[in-house]
Amino acid sequence: MHVYIYDDYLNKSRYNKAINRMEIRLTDLGLNGKIIRLGGIKNIKGTVQNEVKLGAKTIIAVGNNQTVNKIIGAIIDTDIYSDFQKKTLLGIIPIGDDNSIAASFGIKNEEEACNILLARRIKKIDLGLVGKHYFLNQASIQSSGTILDIDDYSLEIQERGEIRIINLLSNPKEIIKSSPHDGLLDISINTRRKDQTFLTVKKVKITNPNEKLIIDGVLEIKTPVEVEIMKDKVNVIVGKNRLFE
Amino acid sequence: MFNKDNKLERFKDAETIIGASVKVKGNFQGQGNIIVEGALEGSLKTNANLYIGEKAQVVANIEARTAIINGELRGNVKARGYLAIGETAKIFGDVHYGEISVDKGAVINGQLLMLAEEHKRGESKKTEEKENELEK
Repeated sequence: MHVYIYDDYLNKSRYNKAINRMEIRLTDLGLNGKIIRLGGIKNIKGTVQNEVKLGAKTIIAVGNNQTVNKIIGAIIDTDIYSDFQKKTLLGIIPIGDDNSIAASFGIKNEEEACNILLARRIKKIDLGLVGKHYFLNQASIQSSGTILDIDDYSLEIQERGEIRIINLLSNPKEIIKSSPHDGLLDISINTRRKDQTFLTVKKVKITNPNEKLIIDGVLEIKTPVEVEIMKDKVNVIVGKNRLFE
Repeated sequence: MFNKDNKLERFKDAETIIGASVKVKGNFQGQGNIIVEGALEGSLKTNANLYIGEKAQVVANIEARTAIINGELRGNVKARGYLAIGETAKIFGDVHYGEISVDKGAVINGQLLMLAEEHKRGESKKTEEKENELEK
Protein backbone atom coordinates (compact mmCIF):
# COMPACT_ATOMS: atom_id res chain seq x y z
CA MET A 1 0.00 0.00 0.00
CA HIS A 2 1.21 3.51 -0.87
CA VAL A 3 0.66 6.27 1.66
CA TYR A 4 0.96 9.85 0.43
CA ILE A 5 1.61 12.42 3.13
CA TYR A 6 0.74 15.94 1.95
CA ASP A 7 2.38 18.76 3.88
CA ASP A 8 0.09 21.42 5.33
CA TYR A 9 1.35 24.25 3.09
CA LEU A 10 -0.08 22.42 0.08
CA ASN A 11 -3.57 23.55 1.18
CA LYS A 12 -2.83 26.88 -0.53
CA SER A 13 -4.63 27.30 -3.86
CA ARG A 14 -1.43 28.04 -5.77
CA TYR A 15 -0.40 24.41 -5.43
CA ASN A 16 -3.72 23.03 -6.75
CA LYS A 17 -2.50 22.67 -10.33
CA ALA A 18 0.65 20.81 -9.34
CA ILE A 19 -1.32 18.47 -7.06
CA ASN A 20 -3.90 17.80 -9.79
CA ARG A 21 -1.14 16.98 -12.27
CA MET A 22 0.50 14.67 -9.78
CA GLU A 23 -2.72 12.86 -8.86
CA ILE A 24 -3.66 12.33 -12.52
CA ARG A 25 -0.20 10.94 -13.24
CA LEU A 26 -0.35 8.62 -10.21
CA THR A 27 -3.74 7.31 -11.36
CA ASP A 28 -2.41 6.74 -14.89
CA LEU A 29 0.50 4.75 -13.49
CA GLY A 30 -1.70 2.74 -11.09
CA LEU A 31 0.08 4.14 -8.05
CA ASN A 32 -2.98 5.34 -6.16
CA GLY A 33 -2.93 5.06 -2.41
CA LYS A 34 -4.05 6.55 0.84
CA ILE A 35 -3.72 10.31 1.22
CA ILE A 36 -3.00 11.94 4.57
CA ARG A 37 -3.06 15.74 4.80
CA LEU A 38 -0.91 17.08 7.62
CA GLY A 39 -2.99 20.30 7.71
CA GLY A 40 -5.51 18.99 10.18
CA ILE A 41 -3.23 16.66 12.13
CA LYS A 42 -1.48 17.58 15.36
CA ASN A 43 0.15 14.22 16.08
CA ILE A 44 2.26 13.73 12.95
CA LYS A 45 4.47 11.11 14.61
CA GLY A 46 1.51 8.99 15.68
CA THR A 47 -0.09 9.21 12.24
CA VAL A 48 3.05 8.20 10.34
CA GLN A 49 3.90 5.42 12.80
CA ASN A 50 0.36 4.07 12.54
CA GLU A 51 0.65 3.78 8.76
CA VAL A 52 3.89 1.81 9.10
CA LYS A 53 2.18 -0.49 11.62
CA LEU A 54 -0.71 -0.99 9.19
CA GLY A 55 1.80 -2.26 6.63
CA ALA A 56 2.52 0.68 4.33
CA LYS A 57 5.00 -0.48 1.65
CA THR A 58 5.87 3.05 0.57
CA ILE A 59 5.50 6.30 2.45
CA ILE A 60 5.69 9.24 0.09
CA ALA A 61 6.51 12.73 1.32
CA VAL A 62 4.58 15.20 -0.83
CA GLY A 63 6.02 18.64 -0.19
CA ASN A 64 9.55 19.90 0.47
CA ASN A 65 12.67 19.27 2.60
CA GLN A 66 10.74 19.87 5.80
CA THR A 67 8.10 17.30 4.84
CA VAL A 68 10.84 14.69 4.35
CA ASN A 69 12.47 15.64 7.65
CA LYS A 70 9.11 15.48 9.48
CA ILE A 71 8.53 11.93 8.23
CA ILE A 72 12.05 10.79 9.04
CA GLY A 73 11.79 12.43 12.47
CA ALA A 74 8.52 10.55 13.09
CA ILE A 75 10.09 7.15 12.48
CA ILE A 76 13.76 7.14 13.44
CA ASP A 77 14.54 6.08 17.01
CA THR A 78 11.02 4.78 17.60
CA ASP A 79 9.65 1.29 18.26
CA ILE A 80 8.46 0.87 14.68
CA TYR A 81 11.80 1.87 13.10
CA SER A 82 13.02 -1.71 12.57
CA ASP A 83 9.74 -2.54 10.78
CA PHE A 84 10.09 0.60 8.69
CA GLN A 85 13.67 -0.22 7.71
CA LYS A 86 12.79 -3.79 6.69
CA LYS A 87 9.46 -3.28 4.95
CA THR A 88 8.90 0.35 4.02
CA LEU A 89 10.42 2.60 1.37
CA LEU A 90 10.52 6.38 1.45
CA GLY A 91 9.47 8.23 -1.68
CA ILE A 92 9.48 11.97 -2.36
CA ILE A 93 7.25 14.11 -4.57
CA PRO A 94 8.60 17.67 -4.53
CA ILE A 95 6.13 20.53 -4.82
CA GLY A 96 7.12 24.18 -4.48
CA ASP A 97 10.43 25.61 -3.25
CA ASP A 98 13.05 24.32 -0.79
CA ASN A 99 13.41 20.91 -2.38
CA SER A 100 17.17 20.32 -2.32
CA ILE A 101 16.73 16.80 -0.90
CA ALA A 102 14.57 15.72 -3.85
CA ALA A 103 17.05 17.37 -6.24
CA SER A 104 19.87 15.33 -4.65
CA PHE A 105 17.91 12.17 -5.38
CA GLY A 106 17.47 13.21 -9.01
CA ILE A 107 13.78 14.16 -8.62
CA LYS A 108 13.10 17.46 -10.39
CA ASN A 109 9.32 17.87 -10.32
CA GLU A 110 6.09 16.17 -9.36
CA GLU A 111 5.52 14.40 -12.68
CA GLU A 112 9.03 13.02 -12.85
CA ALA A 113 8.65 11.93 -9.22
CA CYS A 114 5.66 9.75 -10.18
CA ASN A 115 7.69 7.96 -12.88
CA ILE A 116 10.52 7.46 -10.37
CA LEU A 117 8.09 5.93 -7.86
CA LEU A 118 7.02 3.46 -10.54
CA ALA A 119 10.61 2.53 -11.41
CA ARG A 120 11.37 1.82 -7.71
CA ARG A 121 15.12 2.32 -7.88
CA ILE A 122 16.16 1.89 -4.25
CA LYS A 123 19.22 3.16 -2.35
CA LYS A 124 20.10 2.78 1.31
CA ILE A 125 20.84 6.26 2.56
CA ASP A 126 22.86 7.41 5.58
CA LEU A 127 21.55 10.07 7.91
CA GLY A 128 23.54 12.76 9.68
CA LEU A 129 22.79 13.12 13.37
CA VAL A 130 23.16 16.28 15.47
CA GLY A 131 22.01 15.74 19.03
CA LYS A 132 18.50 14.35 18.55
CA HIS A 133 18.06 15.79 15.08
CA TYR A 134 18.62 13.83 11.89
CA PHE A 135 19.48 15.42 8.56
CA LEU A 136 19.79 14.27 4.99
CA ASN A 137 21.61 17.07 3.16
CA GLN A 138 24.02 19.01 5.35
CA ALA A 139 24.75 21.03 8.46
CA SER A 140 26.57 24.35 8.12
CA ILE A 141 28.18 27.04 10.28
CA GLN A 142 30.21 30.22 9.78
CA SER A 143 33.89 29.33 9.67
CA SER A 144 35.47 32.26 11.53
CA GLY A 145 36.34 31.21 15.08
CA THR A 146 35.05 27.67 14.65
CA ILE A 147 36.96 24.70 16.03
CA LEU A 148 36.38 21.19 14.70
CA ASP A 149 37.53 18.30 16.90
CA ILE A 150 38.01 15.07 14.97
CA ASP A 151 39.55 11.86 16.38
CA ASP A 152 43.03 12.81 17.55
CA TYR A 153 43.27 16.27 16.00
CA SER A 154 41.49 19.59 15.69
CA LEU A 155 40.98 22.19 12.97
CA GLU A 156 40.88 25.92 13.67
CA ILE A 157 39.59 28.36 11.09
CA GLN A 158 40.07 32.11 11.51
CA GLU A 159 38.93 33.36 8.08
CA ARG A 160 35.30 34.22 7.36
CA GLY A 161 33.48 31.70 5.23
CA GLU A 162 31.35 28.61 5.58
CA ILE A 163 31.89 25.12 6.95
CA ARG A 164 29.56 22.45 5.59
CA ILE A 165 29.21 18.94 6.96
CA ILE A 166 27.71 17.08 4.04
CA ASN A 167 25.85 13.80 3.89
CA LEU A 168 24.04 14.34 0.62
CA LEU A 169 25.07 16.95 -1.94
CA SER A 170 22.27 19.24 -3.09
CA ASN A 171 24.02 21.26 -5.80
CA PRO A 172 24.90 19.48 -9.06
CA LYS A 173 27.60 22.11 -9.75
CA GLU A 174 29.67 21.11 -6.70
CA ILE A 175 33.19 20.04 -7.60
CA ILE A 176 33.54 17.79 -4.58
CA LYS A 177 32.46 14.18 -4.53
CA SER A 178 30.18 13.00 -1.77
CA SER A 179 28.23 9.82 -1.24
CA PRO A 180 25.24 9.43 1.11
CA HIS A 181 25.85 5.72 1.58
CA ASP A 182 29.56 5.48 2.41
CA GLY A 183 29.12 5.84 6.18
CA LEU A 184 31.11 9.08 6.14
CA LEU A 185 30.47 12.80 6.45
CA ASP A 186 32.31 15.13 4.09
CA ILE A 187 33.58 18.38 5.58
CA SER A 188 34.00 21.22 3.11
CA ILE A 189 35.36 24.61 4.21
CA ASN A 190 35.29 27.57 1.84
CA THR A 191 36.65 30.92 3.03
CA ARG A 192 36.87 34.42 1.60
CA ARG A 193 40.50 33.72 0.70
CA LYS A 194 38.99 31.30 -1.82
CA ASP A 195 40.94 28.38 -0.50
CA GLN A 196 39.20 25.09 0.02
CA THR A 197 39.54 22.47 2.71
CA PHE A 198 38.05 19.04 2.31
CA LEU A 199 38.14 15.92 4.47
CA THR A 200 35.97 12.95 5.39
CA VAL A 201 35.08 11.92 8.94
CA LYS A 202 32.69 9.70 10.88
CA LYS A 203 32.21 12.10 13.74
CA VAL A 204 33.07 15.73 14.46
CA LYS A 205 32.57 18.05 17.42
CA ILE A 206 31.85 21.64 16.44
CA THR A 207 32.52 24.58 18.74
CA ASN A 208 31.85 28.25 18.08
CA PRO A 209 30.43 30.37 20.93
CA ASN A 210 29.25 33.07 18.52
CA GLU A 211 27.59 31.06 15.76
CA LYS A 212 24.91 28.39 15.47
CA LEU A 213 24.95 25.24 13.41
CA ILE A 214 22.19 25.20 10.79
CA ILE A 215 20.71 21.84 9.76
CA ASP A 216 19.34 21.43 6.23
CA GLY A 217 19.05 25.22 6.02
CA VAL A 218 16.24 25.31 8.58
CA LEU A 219 17.01 24.30 12.15
CA GLU A 220 19.52 26.27 14.27
CA ILE A 221 21.48 24.52 17.02
CA LYS A 222 23.87 26.02 19.58
CA THR A 223 27.42 24.67 19.81
CA PRO A 224 29.40 22.79 21.12
CA VAL A 225 27.65 19.92 19.42
CA GLU A 226 28.61 16.58 17.92
CA VAL A 227 27.71 15.60 14.37
CA GLU A 228 27.91 11.97 13.37
CA ILE A 229 26.79 9.65 10.60
CA MET A 230 24.32 6.80 10.91
CA LYS A 231 24.83 4.34 8.07
CA ASP A 232 22.06 2.96 5.85
CA LYS A 233 19.21 4.29 7.95
CA VAL A 234 16.54 4.80 5.28
CA ASN A 235 15.60 3.03 2.04
CA VAL A 236 14.77 5.75 -0.45
CA ILE A 237 13.34 5.55 -3.98
CA VAL A 238 15.74 7.59 -6.12
CA GLY A 239 15.94 8.81 -9.72
CA LYS A 240 18.63 7.78 -12.16
CA ASN A 241 19.84 11.39 -12.36
CA ARG A 242 20.72 11.49 -8.65
CA LEU A 243 23.86 13.34 -7.54
CA PHE A 244 25.70 10.24 -6.32
CA GLU A 245 26.58 6.71 -7.44
CA MET B 1 49.14 10.89 -9.45
CA PHE B 2 51.46 13.81 -10.10
CA ASN B 3 51.08 16.02 -13.14
CA LYS B 4 53.79 17.68 -15.22
CA ASP B 5 54.31 20.41 -12.62
CA ASN B 6 54.86 17.83 -9.90
CA LYS B 7 51.59 18.72 -8.21
CA LEU B 8 48.78 16.49 -7.15
CA GLU B 9 45.78 16.82 -9.42
CA ARG B 10 43.81 18.97 -7.00
CA PHE B 11 40.36 17.80 -5.92
CA LYS B 12 40.46 14.84 -8.30
CA ASP B 13 42.93 12.67 -6.47
CA ALA B 14 43.19 14.17 -3.00
CA GLU B 15 40.98 12.69 -0.30
CA THR B 16 42.06 15.39 2.13
CA ILE B 17 42.88 19.04 1.48
CA ILE B 18 43.97 21.37 4.26
CA GLY B 19 43.42 24.88 2.91
CA ALA B 20 45.55 27.95 3.64
CA SER B 21 43.04 29.32 6.20
CA VAL B 22 43.07 26.21 8.32
CA LYS B 23 45.32 25.23 11.21
CA VAL B 24 45.46 21.56 12.18
CA LYS B 25 46.67 20.55 15.65
CA GLY B 26 47.22 16.95 16.71
CA ASN B 27 47.95 13.61 15.10
CA PHE B 28 46.53 13.58 11.61
CA GLN B 29 46.34 10.19 9.97
CA GLY B 30 44.90 9.44 6.53
CA GLN B 31 44.66 6.53 4.12
CA GLY B 32 44.48 8.58 0.93
CA ASN B 33 46.31 11.43 -0.76
CA ILE B 34 46.72 14.60 1.28
CA ILE B 35 47.37 18.20 0.24
CA VAL B 36 48.50 20.66 2.91
CA GLU B 37 48.39 24.37 2.05
CA GLY B 38 47.77 25.63 5.60
CA ALA B 39 49.37 25.09 9.02
CA LEU B 40 49.83 21.80 10.83
CA GLU B 41 51.23 21.03 14.28
CA GLY B 42 51.68 17.52 15.62
CA SER B 43 52.18 14.58 13.28
CA LEU B 44 51.00 13.61 9.83
CA LYS B 45 50.87 10.13 8.38
CA THR B 46 49.40 8.66 5.21
CA ASN B 47 49.83 5.43 3.28
CA ALA B 48 49.49 7.36 0.03
CA ASN B 49 50.83 10.60 -1.42
CA LEU B 50 51.44 13.91 0.31
CA TYR B 51 51.81 17.38 -1.18
CA ILE B 52 52.95 20.27 1.01
CA GLY B 53 52.28 23.62 -0.68
CA GLU B 54 54.57 26.61 -0.93
CA LYS B 55 52.87 28.61 1.85
CA ALA B 56 52.25 25.69 4.18
CA GLN B 57 53.81 25.76 7.65
CA VAL B 58 54.22 22.33 9.13
CA VAL B 59 55.64 21.64 12.60
CA ALA B 60 55.37 17.86 12.67
CA ASN B 61 56.98 14.56 11.91
CA ILE B 62 55.53 13.39 8.62
CA GLU B 63 55.35 10.04 6.92
CA ALA B 64 54.02 9.14 3.47
CA ARG B 65 54.56 6.79 0.58
CA THR B 66 55.44 9.59 -1.82
CA ALA B 67 55.86 13.25 -0.89
CA ILE B 68 56.43 16.60 -2.52
CA ILE B 69 57.52 19.39 -0.22
CA ASN B 70 57.42 23.02 -1.29
CA GLY B 71 56.70 24.71 2.06
CA GLU B 72 58.28 24.98 5.49
CA LEU B 73 58.66 21.82 7.57
CA ARG B 74 60.03 21.69 11.11
CA GLY B 75 60.28 17.99 11.90
CA ASN B 76 61.43 14.75 10.34
CA VAL B 77 60.12 13.49 7.04
CA LYS B 78 59.96 9.88 5.91
CA ALA B 79 58.94 9.02 2.35
CA ARG B 80 59.22 5.31 1.67
CA GLY B 81 59.08 5.90 -2.06
CA TYR B 82 59.90 9.10 -3.92
CA LEU B 83 60.52 12.41 -2.17
CA ALA B 84 60.66 15.65 -4.15
CA ILE B 85 61.94 18.77 -2.42
CA GLY B 86 61.05 21.94 -4.32
CA GLU B 87 63.02 25.17 -4.60
CA THR B 88 60.81 26.96 -2.02
CA ALA B 89 61.08 24.17 0.57
CA LYS B 90 62.65 24.76 3.97
CA ILE B 91 63.20 21.62 6.00
CA PHE B 92 64.52 21.67 9.56
CA GLY B 93 64.78 18.00 10.44
CA ASP B 94 66.02 14.66 9.18
CA VAL B 95 64.97 13.43 5.77
CA HIS B 96 64.41 9.69 5.16
CA TYR B 97 63.70 8.68 1.59
CA GLY B 98 63.59 5.86 -0.91
CA GLU B 99 64.42 8.08 -3.87
CA ILE B 100 64.98 11.82 -3.76
CA SER B 101 65.22 14.93 -5.90
CA VAL B 102 66.18 18.33 -4.52
CA ASP B 103 65.65 21.55 -6.48
CA LYS B 104 68.15 24.41 -6.43
CA GLY B 105 67.26 26.87 -3.67
CA ALA B 106 65.80 24.33 -1.27
CA VAL B 107 66.97 24.60 2.36
CA ILE B 108 67.63 21.39 4.26
CA ASN B 109 68.93 21.59 7.80
CA GLY B 110 69.23 17.97 8.91
CA GLN B 111 70.50 14.59 7.85
CA LEU B 112 69.66 12.97 4.53
CA LEU B 113 69.15 9.25 5.14
CA MET B 114 68.36 6.79 2.40
CA LEU B 115 66.07 3.98 3.50
CA ALA B 116 67.56 0.48 3.20
CA GLU B 117 67.86 -0.67 -0.39
CA GLU B 118 66.01 -3.88 0.40
CA HIS B 119 63.24 -2.00 2.14
CA LYS B 120 62.97 0.26 -0.87
CA ARG B 121 62.72 -2.68 -3.26
CA GLY B 122 60.01 -4.25 -1.11
CA GLU B 123 58.08 -1.01 -1.12
CA SER B 124 58.34 -0.53 -4.89
CA LYS B 125 57.12 -4.08 -5.41
CA LYS B 126 54.16 -3.46 -3.09
CA THR B 127 53.43 -0.16 -4.82
CA GLU B 128 53.55 -1.79 -8.25
CA GLU B 129 51.23 -4.54 -7.07
CA LYS B 130 48.81 -2.01 -5.65
CA GLU B 131 48.89 0.05 -8.84
CA ASN B 132 48.36 -3.08 -10.95
CA GLU B 133 45.39 -4.00 -8.78
CA LEU B 134 43.96 -0.51 -9.14
CA GLU B 135 44.43 -0.63 -12.93
CA LYS B 136 42.58 -3.93 -13.04
